[in-house]
Amino acid sequence: MTYVFPVDPFFFTKPSLIGAAFKEQVQGSKLWHDLAVSSRAFLWGFTFAVIVGIPLGLVMGWRKRVEYSLDPFLTALYASPLVALAPLFIIVFGVGVLGKAALVFLLAIFPFIFNTFAGVKSTDVLLINVIRSFGGTEKDLYLKVILPSTMPYIIAGARIAIGRGLVGIIVGEFYAASEGIGFAISQAGDTYRLPDMFVGIIILSLIAIILTELMRRLELTLAPWRASDEVR
Amino acid sequence: MKARKIFAEHESLILGTGFIVLLLVVWESIPLWYTLPRGMALFFTTPSRIAVAFYELLLDGTIEKHFYVSAVAFLAGLGLSIIVGLPLGLLMGRSATLEQLLDPYVTAANATPRIVFLPLLILWFGIGIWSKILIVFVGALFPLLINTYVGVKNVNRVLVSVVRSFGANEWQVMKIVVLPNSVPYIIAGLRLAIGRAILGVVVGEFFGSSHGLGYMIASAATNYKVDVVFVGVAIFMAMSVFLTLAIKQLESRLASWRPEAAKSF
Repeated sequence: MTYVFPVDPFFFTKPSLIGAAFKEQVQGSKLWHDLAVSSRAFLWGFTFAVIVGIPLGLVMGWRKRVEYSLDPFLTALYASPLVALAPLFIIVFGVGVLGKAALVFLLAIFPFIFNTFAGVKSTDVLLINVIRSFGGTEKDLYLKVILPSTMPYIIAGARIAIGRGLVGIIVGEFYAASEGIGFAISQAGDTYRLPDMFVGIIILSLIAIILTELMRRLELTLAPWRASDEVR
Repeated sequence: MKARKIFAEHESLILGTGFIVLLLVVWESIPLWYTLPRGMALFFTTPSRIAVAFYELLLDGTIEKHFYVSAVAFLAGLGLSIIVGLPLGLLMGRSATLEQLLDPYVTAANATPRIVFLPLLILWFGIGIWSKILIVFVGALFPLLINTYVGVKNVNRVLVSVVRSFGANEWQVMKIVVLPNSVPYIIAGLRLAIGRAILGVVVGEFFGSSHGLGYMIASAATNYKVDVVFVGVAIFMAMSVFLTLAIKQLESRLASWRPEAAKSF
């Protein structure tokens, strides 16, 4: 295309240039450092989202009063673009790992809560009654029936949460950062290094696609019956 | 006894609003029972101060000005994604060639957080309204496209065959069977698209912008005007909740026969 239309290389680039930049960056150390920084923040936020979100969803699904109390509040938060809080988070918690991790946590927790909640709601009542009739305790109920039958929902939630968490990382690093893959992309953009910017975008997209696909596979192995009513 | 009966009848409503009120009261009263250190106080605000800030910004027209800019980006981007997404989704669902041609790209693009394209769009289209419209567009396009496509794929084959045997052409099949059948899916896609579109507006205006509610939030944060940040966030929240509820209403009216799926915004 660049041979047919002479375009300004300042604003446009071509695959061969991106390829060269890609090779150069993969061999260098900066890219790996940026990826490590971003993934650390992502993993912290994501882990806490799992630790807090799943128990909250379980309790919400099982206890009617907890559901009534929390549902309107959490639904409102889930529906709203919490990313709008990004500047505040970065300013309060700093440009380091903490600010981004907090942002990831805030965005990733809701899919866990609501999917766990939906999973508990759809648990087979018969199984619950069986545990009850054989004298199972509340703990047995949670660990042996509710959690296993909720698992596919949680995995589906994880898939959504990954997407939202990545948005958190990217926005956090676009806004203010000194390292990280999002920062690398926006800096390359600011300095008109288009091939470098494309490398960053492609790498981030690849990571997102691989993670999402992994979750989809996991979901299909754990719950093949849900494969039919898949809505992405 | 009577109070208990009222409570039992409206338990969900009472507990739901009660919890929100309780949170607001606790938040409001934090400065009363705990003196924040000076550094923390800079980042702190209370609901009443947010309300005051909202009122002031409303009076001097700041909110109106920024809201207008954001609304234009939102509506233009969403409109564009409907214009492109719906026909493309319908075509992909009906034509196997087009499906095989486009499906890998659509799936890949849907898995990618489209926000990463923002610096590129800003570079190409400048910091004006167009980069915002386009980031809203790429955000909202895929949920719409994919849901339309899934809806078309799920059309009952028998119905299509019946209409065909009575001599309908492809256009009539589309109009009589396919389109009505995919409406619930399209509405569900629209709900997802609205969420993505608002995300696009917010983030698009954070960077390289001089107008809009997102800009208002970002610049207030840099100036430590925390109450103004929350005013902006609250407006976005109200908008999203309102739009989501409206679409849900529409959805449940149109698709009361569909099983309840897990919430996904």
